[in-house]
Formats: sequence, structure tokens, C-alpha cells
Amino acid sequence: MTTHEHAHPTGYRQYFMTWIWLLVMTMTALIIGYFHFLPEGVKAAMLVGITLAKIFLIGSIFMHLKTEKINLVMLTFSPLLLSIVLFFFTFGETLKDPTHEIQNVSPTFVMPTGEVKEHK
Amino acid sequence: MESTSLAEQQRVLASDWGGGKSPFGTSWSKFMMWIFIISDALTFAGFLIAYGFMRRVAVAWPVQMDIFSPVLITFMTFVLISSSAVMAMAVSAARSGDPKSATRFLGLTILGGAIFLGCQAYEWYHFISEGATLTHNPWGVPQFAASFFVITGFHGFHVFSGLTILAIVALRAAMGKYSGEGVENAGLYWHFVDVVWVFVFAFYYLM
Repeated sequence: MTTHEHAHPTGYRQYFMTWIWLLVMTMTALIIGYFHFLPEGVKAAMLVGITLAKIFLIGSIFMHLKTEKINLVMLTFSPLLLSIVLFFFTFGETLKDPTHEIQNVSPTFVMPTGEVKEHK
Repeated sequence: MESTSLAEQQRVLASDWGGGKSPFGTSWSKFMMWIFIISDALTFAGFLIAYGFMRRVAVAWPVQMDIFSPVLITFMTFVLISSSAVMAMAVSAARSGDPKSATRFLGLTILGGAIFLGCQAYEWYHFISEGATLTHNPWGVPQFAASFFVITGFHGFHVFSGLTILAIVALRAAMGKYSGEGVENAGLYWHFVDVVWVFVFAFYYLM
């Protein structure tokens, strides 16, 4: 019983501090969102940094990954790694050709039979 | 030679992967929740990357801060993060055998989720009433409205599912029919919903 009485306030205090940090980081991200004078790349890097820091806090403290086995912790990194791969697959195209735009132009294309068709 | 292989065999059997125990040090239900979270994270990763790609190749992207209310979005983020913190306390209370506190904290978490969902409904109502649809956006490229509806819609659906799960868990806790692990699994899902919103907040609204 004594352990429970002691375990509660310590645990709550840690959650409370994490909550405060998350709110501070949210406010910082919001302020950075208004920094229109910053180059887009710098702003994006700062926002990604804050987001990852928030995820790290939520994952380690709220989701208890801090006390979980390393095998489970490593498993949770897989979506992040796969997202980075997916990011470079898709964004690579836009970096090479920045003029590539979404537009409603109907280009023609050649069927395997040699017939020329048009998108409608 | 033989003794080495025996020692090696014993080492493997004693390791996490030797069989007979969970290599991840969790119960099956918690592990399955993690597997679900990881697969669901990939779904949202796909959405956010597709959105980023569309935005990058679009001729012009509307200034989000001119269209959405930054005060409302920040308030929604605060509410969701706060409900996540309270959920962590509910798990802690349930784990230490305190159903009364667990039920109270779960109630607060549900309240936070409901406020968030209400704000989202309000935001959607305004967005639609100004003429935005899945295929049309009054401020420019249609992809802006389409990604808004798909990403926040999927997230909102997750919040709604989370509220349903939490309501069941809270009812069970109030009746004394609960386990610390059951509350923890529901909590893991709720924190994941919060994690997704942190990404949406930064990438869709602020960037």
C-alpha cells in the first residue's frame, strides 16, 4: 500500500512535467509557423525537429517506451524509417524537375499496340 | 567442440529469441496493439507524404493561416495533448489498483476528445460552407481541400473510435471490471492519435 501511495505522485509529476514541455513545444512550433522571413527549408527543419522531440516525449513517457525492452522500441522505429524511404522515393522527382506541376492538361500516350490515345 | 555447441545452444535458448517467452517482453494484447499502431502509422505516413508531394508540385499552395483559425488549431492541439497526459495518469491509476481515480481520469480524457471532435466539426462546417469539397477549393488548387478532408477526416475518425473504446473502458472501470493492461492498451491507442495530430499540426497547418 505504501508503495502505491509513493508511486502515484512521482508518476503524476513526471506526466505533468511532460505535459508542460509538450505545451511549450507546441507554442514554439506555432511561433515558428509565423516566421515568414525564414527560408522554407530552415522553417521546415525546425518544425520537423520540434515534432520529433514531441514524438520522442510522448513515446518514451506516455507510451512507456522508456521502460520497454529494446526489441519493442526498435520495432516502433520501422514506420519512421519506411517513411524516410517513401519520402525520398516521391520527393526525388520534384527535386529533379521543379517545373513539374499538377495541372489539368490531357497528354497523349501510346498504347502497346501503337495506337495513340488521349486522356479525357 | 561438442561442449561449445551445447553452450551455444544454451545461450540461444536463454536469449529473448530462444522460444517460450515474448521476445518483446509484453503480453500478446499489448504487442498486438503495438503492431496495429505501427501499421496505422504507415497509413498516415503515406497520407502525409502524398500531401507533401502534391503541395510541392502544385503551382501555388494557399496560405493556411489565412484560411484556418490558428487560435482554434492551437486550442485543439492543447486539448488533445492534455487529454493524452490525463490518459497516462489513468493508466498509472489503473495499474496501481485505484479504479476511482482511473475512472475520473478516463472521464477527463473522454471530455478532451469530445471537445477536440466538436472543434473539428466546427472547422469542417466552416470549410464546407465556404465552398470547399473533395474536388474543389475556392482558394486555389483542389489538392489543398482534398488533403484537408482526407487527412483530418481519417484522424477525426480515429479520435471517434478512440472515444468509443475509452467510453467502454471507463464504464468497465466504473463497474470494477477492468484490468490495468486493458486501460494501458486503450491508452496506447489514444497516445497514438495524439502523435498523429502532432504531425498533422506541424506539416499541414504550420509548414
